[in-house]
Amino acid sequence: MNKGKIVSIHSFRGGTGKSNTTANLAAQVAMAGKRVGVVDTDIQSPGIHVLFGLDENKMGKTMNDFLHGTATIREIGFPIGDHVGGAEGLSKLAGKNLWLFPSSIRGREISQILRDGVDFNKLNEGLQTTISEFDLDYLFIDTHPGLNEETLLSIATSDVLIIILRPDNQDLQGTSVTVDIARSLDVPNLMLMVNKALPKYDFAEIKNEIEAKFNAPVAGVLPLSFDIAENASGDLFSLRYPDHQWSQALRGVAQAVLAVE
Amino acid sequence: MGSGESAYETVSGTGRRKIMNEDITRRLKESTMFNGLSDDALIALAEKTSLRKLAMGDVLMRKGDFGDSLFLIHEGWVKIVTTNSDGDELILNKCGPGESIGEMALLDQDPRSATVIALEDVEALELSRDVFEEILDQRPDVSFAVIRGYSRRLRFATNYIERAIDWTQKIAAGDYSFIDQTQPIIDQKNSNDNKAIQLLSAFFIMVRKVKEREDGLKKQLEKLTFEIDQVRRKQEFEEITGTEFYANLKEQAKTLRQKRTQQ
Ligand SMILES: Nc1ncnc2c1ncn2[C@@H]1O[C@H](COP(=O)(O)OP(=O)(O)O)[C@@H](O)[C@H]1O
Ligand SMILES: [Mg+2]
Repeated sequence: MNKGKIVSIHSFRGGTGKSNTTANLAAQVAMAGKRVGVVDTDIQSPGIHVLFGLDENKMGKTMNDFLHGTATIREIGFPIGDHVGGAEGLSKLAGKNLWLFPSSIRGREISQILRDGVDFNKLNEGLQTTISEFDLDYLFIDTHPGLNEETLLSIATSDVLIIILRPDNQDLQGTSVTVDIARSLDVPNLMLMVNKALPKYDFAEIKNEIEAKFNAPVAGVLPLSFDIAENASGDLFSLRYPDHQWSQALRGVAQAVLAVE
Repeated sequence: MGSGESAYETVSGTGRRKIMNEDITRRLKESTMFNGLSDDALIALAEKTSLRKLAMGDVLMRKGDFGDSLFLIHEGWVKIVTTNSDGDELILNKCGPGESIGEMALLDQDPRSATVIALEDVEALELSRDVFEEILDQRPDVSFAVIRGYSRRLRFATNYIERAIDWTQKIAAGDYSFIDQTQPIIDQKNSNDNKAIQLLSAFFIMVRKVKEREDGLKKQLEKLTFEIDQVRRKQEFEEITGTEFYANLKEQAKTLRQKRTQQ
């Protein structure tokens, strides 16, 4: 019996904080003792591996190899808990059950997969195998922004979809379409997360207004903070600065994920 | 004619000096620094000052110069300026009749901390370091007057800093109510503590600007949250869901979810 949940993290635009949020959510859920996987399906512009301290040299087989049938899921999973390195936040994950399933950062492999297209059944089989092979409680998917075919695939297969948006018109407009798509694809659990909110906004008001607009829960409103821009790359912010307002709100989102039945 | 003219000048010069000394004595008496002095002390002091005349735009002292005299503004107004990182002039203060400038450099021997420029025709009395130190040495009453002047300024500055700290903490907490409560004090243009008043007023202008910007951002948010274009939303949804790819995906997703719930 397969009980692991697929949690997709999506945003209408790039640069919204998807990779950063996915990595920190996965880390928080792993800290709570869960068995966690992170898949980078942002095949066009992968980036989440950096936050886990991985570079091209350390990276072995990738999701691209799996999609081409040249690698098994077993071979791809990179155990973060065994290779935490020196970064202060990351090192707290030592011994935790967290695996990263990276995308290739080689240009040729990226363009090849985009040309061939991703097969729904193959991807879905891959995700299900990931969950069963590693006995995962949660599999987080860092998706590509916008609504291209790969992203629609990830949404279709999700148990939980978290849509991240900035509190501005453009993101609200884009998010409205994604919300409609998620409902059309019967995603059982839909939640929103606001990131990069200017600290002087009334966060409670943002939450209320957006919840009313989309008739969906806002799991957290996270502030725009230069601390993150300065310190985030190469480490996990919420583990390194657990008392920061951003980290506290992020843990609220992790709680919401853990609360999903 | 030459000698006559020179004689006339000498007489006239002496006369002018005498009239001027009375004027200077009066100015000294009105100044914050020397207003505690007895009349004979003031007369003695007036004799040792020299007069500097400036036209509008003339520089009385330059930031970074070595300061070896103090000035007492006799007539007219000057501005005290520095430059910001972009090289633009920043007016720190304005000083007028009765006020003293540059006494800090005489005591701590550091270079001038700002540039002083005449805003109109200005007459200033210059007191050299030697004269100043000599007076301090010989006349305990002058020393006390100077010390009293300093301590008055220091006391006000400390008071001002305390209030500024309090306000800064309030701003950080988003509480701007003190602006309205404290407003009247910055309108007292003729107060003795002119510098502090001007600093306060600059501070209040800054706080008001910060508050305005903040209010502007709040308004922007309210506007933003009410602007989803429903027609566009529907159009884009139909574009995506109208494809064969999507129809297949929806079918597959449905089968997948049914399988999962059966498990
Ligand atoms: N709340 C925040 N405040 C400031 N910078 C942020 C915040 N969240 C993310 N960032 C920064 O924004 C950039 C984009 O984040 P990333 O997670 O890569 O976004 P995405 O995956 O959506 O493209 C990164 O430089 C990241 O450090
Ligand atoms: Mg990303």
